[in-house]
Amino acid sequence: MAEIVLSGVTKRFGDFVAVHTLDLAVVDREFLVLLGPSGCGKTTTMRMIAGLEEPSAGEIRIGGRVVNDLPPRARDVAMVFQNYGLYPHMSVADNIGYPLKLRGVPREERAAQVRAVAAKVRLDGLLERKPAALSGGQRQRVGLARALIRKPTVFLMDEPLSNLDAKLRVEMRAELKHLHHELAVTTVYVTHDQIEAMTLATRVAVMNKGIIHQLGTPDEIYNEPADLFVAGFIGSPAMNLIDGRIDDGTFVAGRLRIDGLGRSTRESVVLGIRPEDMTIGPAGSGHGDLPVYSSELTGDSTLITLADGNTRIAVRADKTVRPAIDDVVALRIDPRRCYLFDAATTRRLAI
Amino acid sequence: MAADFEAPRISYATRRRLARVAETTILLITLAIIVFPIAWIITTAFKTPRDVYDLSIVFPPTVQNFVIAFNAPWNLGSKLVNSIVVSTVTVGIAIPIATLAAYSFSRFEFFMKRSLFLLVLATQFIPAVVIILPFFLMFRDVALMDTRTGLIIVNLAIVTPFAVWMIKGYLDAIPNESEEAALVDGASRVRVIFDVVVPMALPGMITAAVFCFILTWNEFIFALILTRENAVTLPVGLISFRTERGDWWELIAASGIIITVPMFMLALVIQRHFVKGMTMGAVR
Ligand SMILES: Nc1ncnc2c1ncn2[C@@H]1O[C@H](COP(=O)(O)OP(=O)(O)OP(=O)(O)O)[C@@H](O)[C@H]1O
Ligand SMILES: [Mg+2]
Repeated sequence: MAEIVLSGVTKRFGDFVAVHTLDLAVVDREFLVLLGPSGCGKTTTMRMIAGLEEPSAGEIRIGGRVVNDLPPRARDVAMVFQNYGLYPHMSVADNIGYPLKLRGVPREERAAQVRAVAAKVRLDGLLERKPAALSGGQRQRVGLARALIRKPTVFLMDEPLSNLDAKLRVEMRAELKHLHHELAVTTVYVTHDQIEAMTLATRVAVMNKGIIHQLGTPDEIYNEPADLFVAGFIGSPAMNLIDGRIDDGTFVAGRLRIDGLGRSTRESVVLGIRPEDMTIGPAGSGHGDLPVYSSELTGDSTLITLADGNTRIAVRADKTVRPAIDDVVALRIDPRRCYLFDAATTRRLAI
Repeated sequence: MAADFEAPRISYATRRRLARVAETTILLITLAIIVFPIAWIITTAFKTPRDVYDLSIVFPPTVQNFVIAFNAPWNLGSKLVNSIVVSTVTVGIAIPIATLAAYSFSRFEFFMKRSLFLLVLATQFIPAVVIILPFFLMFRDVALMDTRTGLIIVNLAIVTPFAVWMIKGYLDAIPNESEEAALVDGASRVRVIFDVVVPMALPGMITAAVFCFILTWNEFIFALILTRENAVTLPVGLISFRTERGDWWELIAASGIIITVPMFMLALVIQRHFVKGMTMGAVR
């Protein structure tokens, strides 16, 4: 059993609060993904779990044991560092085998395990090189292999695939998924890649400025965003967030009128709608007629930006739709796919 | 502006040629000033006493001076041994201690860290002559006068702070990530130092060791005051060739070569280890 429990964990660097009274329970065998913009405290959180950074306040427990005062090696975590943290004077094989060497695994067995894990991360043939003679993506995989060669209580992976090309990233993602299934080790994983987050995670924690905004399954995070930040952060292209008011269930903003949103009346709300949940049609046939601001063919679809005054609304339309700039088109919205947020508290409102 | 541009009175080609002549002249003069004493030492060491005051470079060479210097009454051999022992042991003790101290200064936060580091540096600003008398009195009382142990202690006091300062510079440049990775991989702090820090800091440690060796090897004033017979080192031995009955220039020159050659070889070692890029590739 190795659940990780952070209770009221705060990290301050001088006056700057990097992590703010964080409460987070990572369930045993879970694959928890930390998602959030750059500088929101993901690495700092990981480093506190690993024991490389001391929390300014709060308690961290791994497998029921308070680890605040334990050195990193007593916590039995394996970590993939965002900056790799390789040993420049050791060969790739020695880098990967170092955790085993520390555990007194005999040379022969070590070599065999190094070869096995190196094959998994496609590093065979590079084992004799020094890190300086590797590309960024290769270095990153050395860091990954060095973590994967162990079977620790906890895996901490800080953007382990960020520097790989698209194809290798997909391959490695599958490896990690399989490995997690096989070893069932509790894992905390940081990524900026939302597809990675969606495909790997048991649950996702969306962070911003040292605070967790929402913790839930990928489905919940995507389909039931708790607040404006999560709604705007998850999804690519981002969800449209349109300021307006709601009048007896009809959302009003500029030239837009969207009815069928319950029965409430409220000033200053924000309507959230994903680009893929809208289409365009001939003027007069939808929820408002708007001029086309730009139109980009992305291959599998056309990304159309409409202008409603100063508000820009992105629509993902079928690739056969090719409007010209300044054409006036009707925006058609599926009201069942709309979200409403309180502009003041940023929380989502029930419809 | 193009209209304001005037051709110089002396053409650029001429200027460049003149500059080159001036440059070469200055270089030659500087070279002569540096090389002359060295050339003098090297030639004199192989001259007979008769030829010493003759500046000619053509003379019948002899190794007789070395033979004389190494025999009684000068006994340069024992002084050479003293110098080697004192320098080697000093460096052998100073570098490990300095490395650990430098590591603490570089990586840990502790009470009065900045002041303590300044204090370490401050020791370097005290002129030897200022503290030589207390040392003399102290050593006389604890029977360390004229012993190699005594000299080693004094040299450690001189050399260790210098080494701490120098090695800290190297350690500061080593990225912390590799050490943190080792800690997470399961290494203890001591293990991290041996497996990760020392290999990466080795060029710095070797450089510091060489500098400390040179400092100790050339140390003169303490050795002069604190030794008499048994623990005399080469630099002091050199002075003993200036006697009431005259200066033995050819012997001074010969022992000068004995003192210089090891330094010269160490300089070569430094050059080889001034290789950068040891830490490249640790982090992106
Ligand atoms: N040692 C430190 N001293 C001062 N501030 C720090 C320190 N380490 C991190 N911070 C600050 O804490 C905040 C969180 O940093 P952290 O590295 O956790 O971000 P992150 O979420 O991992 O970002 P990224 O996605 O860019 O890696 C940042 O604003 C950073 O500037
Ligand atoms: Mg980070």
